[in-house]
Amino acid sequence: MGAKRDRLQVIKDILNAIKDKNGRIKPTHILYKANLSHQMMNEYLKELIEKGFITEENTKKGKTYSLTNKGFDYLSKYNLMVDFVDSFGLG
Amino acid sequence: MVHMYLIPQWFFGYDVLLELLFAFVTLLVAIYAFKVYKLSGENQPLLFGVSFIFISASYMAQSFLNFMIVSELNRDICNAMKLANIDTLNALGIYFHTFFFISGLLFLVYMTLKTKCAKTFSLMFILAYALLWFASNTFYTFYFLSSVLLTYILIHYLVAFVRKKQKRTLLVLVAFAFLLFGSIHFIFSINHSLFYALGHMLGLVAYILILINLIIVINK
Repeated sequence: MGAKRDRLQVIKDILNAIKDKNGRIKPTHILYKANLSHQMMNEYLKELIEKGFITEENTKKGKTYSLTNKGFDYLSKYNLMVDFVDSFGLG
Repeated sequence: MVHMYLIPQWFFGYDVLLELLFAFVTLLVAIYAFKVYKLSGENQPLLFGVSFIFISASYMAQSFLNFMIVSELNRDICNAMKLANIDTLNALGIYFHTFFFISGLLFLVYMTLKTKCAKTFSLMFILAYALLWFASNTFYTFYFLSSVLLTYILIHYLVAFVRKKQKRTLLVLVAFAFLLFGSIHFIFSINHSLFYALGHMLGLVAYILILINLIIVINK
């Protein structure tokens, strides 16, 4: 069993899962790729939509989630963020 | 009633420079914290940024006040602001410094509590400001309260270091330890002028450590 992931890491895993699917993904794929329970996934997705990291679209084929520019920024600057948070004890 | 502390004559002017430096370092930290908040949307970097903005403002106020005293511009300022005497100007400066510094520390302590309880937040602030406002000796109360808040912050960093064993968390832990020792030294500076200088020196070490930590993060 791996070490428990912190919040920033879980968000990174979700956003990476979307990015790896060319920026658009179905909820079930997030579930498997980010290794989350259904409830946790819904909570995180709701938060990520509120914070503007992803957008939700309802299509004929079902719900999909897309990465926004802010989401891409998060991924590109993830290490910097984690470094600051860890070194200043904000985690 | 205004309470003054003794400043060694050889230290005149150096305290102004040091306080400006402290204001600059804390402002840098605040700017970076807001950047991280903008990227992550997390509350902790936001609270951290707000606290350092307040601390920066407190040092700017203190630096300005000490500059007025050293440059003897305080008489002109009093005339311009139509203040009765220099004591009023000094009191204003001291109150700005204490208000901003305590506010900064309170935001930091609230951040370490990892809670979103508005009642806790308001209770902390109301109690702290009431204590300062009604204290017969604002000077001692301010530094005593600062020391208590810094102790809580120090404990937070100690726990964080023990949990994650990161060398850079140790840097920040040591920095806050120096700030705490500095705060304690200022308590004694009312009777012994050397403690005023020592308090500033301890603060200098603390902010150099914080700056080193920030530079390492930025350069990675």
